[in-house]
Amino acid sequence: MAIGDARIRIPDRISRGDLITVNAIILHPMDTGFFRTAEGQPIPAYFIKDVVISYGDEQVARFEWTSGVSKDPIVSFSLLADKEAPLAMVWSDTKGGVYRQSINIAFAAA
Amino acid sequence: MSTRRTFVKGVALAGAGLLGSGTLARAQGLLSAAPALDPGDPEVPNEEVARILKDLFGDRPIRRGQLSLDMPAVAEDGRIVPVIIESPLPMKPDNYVKAVHLIVDHNPDPHLAAYHLTPAIGSVAIQTRIKMKRTTWVRAILETSTGEVWANYAHVIVSLNGCG
Repeated sequence: MAIGDARIRIPDRISRGDLITVNAIILHPMDTGFFRTAEGQPIPAYFIKDVVISYGDEQVARFEWTSGVSKDPIVSFSLLADKEAPLAMVWSDTKGGVYRQSINIAFAAA
Repeated sequence: MSTRRTFVKGVALAGAGLLGSGTLARAQGLLSAAPALDPGDPEVPNEEVARILKDLFGDRPIRRGQLSLDMPAVAEDGRIVPVIIESPLPMKPDNYVKAVHLIVDHNPDPHLAAYHLTPAIGSVAIQTRIKMKRTTWVRAILETSTGEVWANYAHVIVSLNGCG
């Protein structure tokens, strides 16, 4: 497991029109810049500052974060599942790191 | 809310009592001398938070309601404090919640997160985990596409500083 490894979880069975809960986690230290190592060296700030969420071709949400979000950030939010399309998330950090993950939203057979 | 406020004051006075009656008298003197700084009132932001609110919402009134902010009353570890923000407001194309802001009054960077939303989200139900430096009020404030501003508050007692 490395910085930027991410997972998105959605319900197993989704029907068209469901309001689903999306859970996402990404591995990241989210260093505030206020801590020091055991040797007394300052640990510079290093955190995810921007999260963009797209559903199909549409950007459905964007989150602005600071180092106040906990290490290995989790976030969950709702989504109106009204089409079969990929749900994609892109996390960007303060050192230029860009991490992507996506999951396909498909409807269960009736 | 009044019970929580009463509880917080009770804890403060009990703590002062342990330190001796002289301290208690001094604590009461401080409380009565500075009513504007009553930490039990989330409607009175500190200077930095007041500036953040002004930048975000201008002179629009920040009314209480239309969203809930669920947090633990006591957070033992300030590095991981759970947050749940929910709102019953509609997410329709002509009227939706366009942003939710999370502000932690006494954190080094109080404006902790902003969640920009669209009607495609369907409803406001955000969960995350945050860091808190010390006991303070937390503010969840949403802004609708029609310009309304709604807020709710949670007082969280922090045992272990999570910000360094």
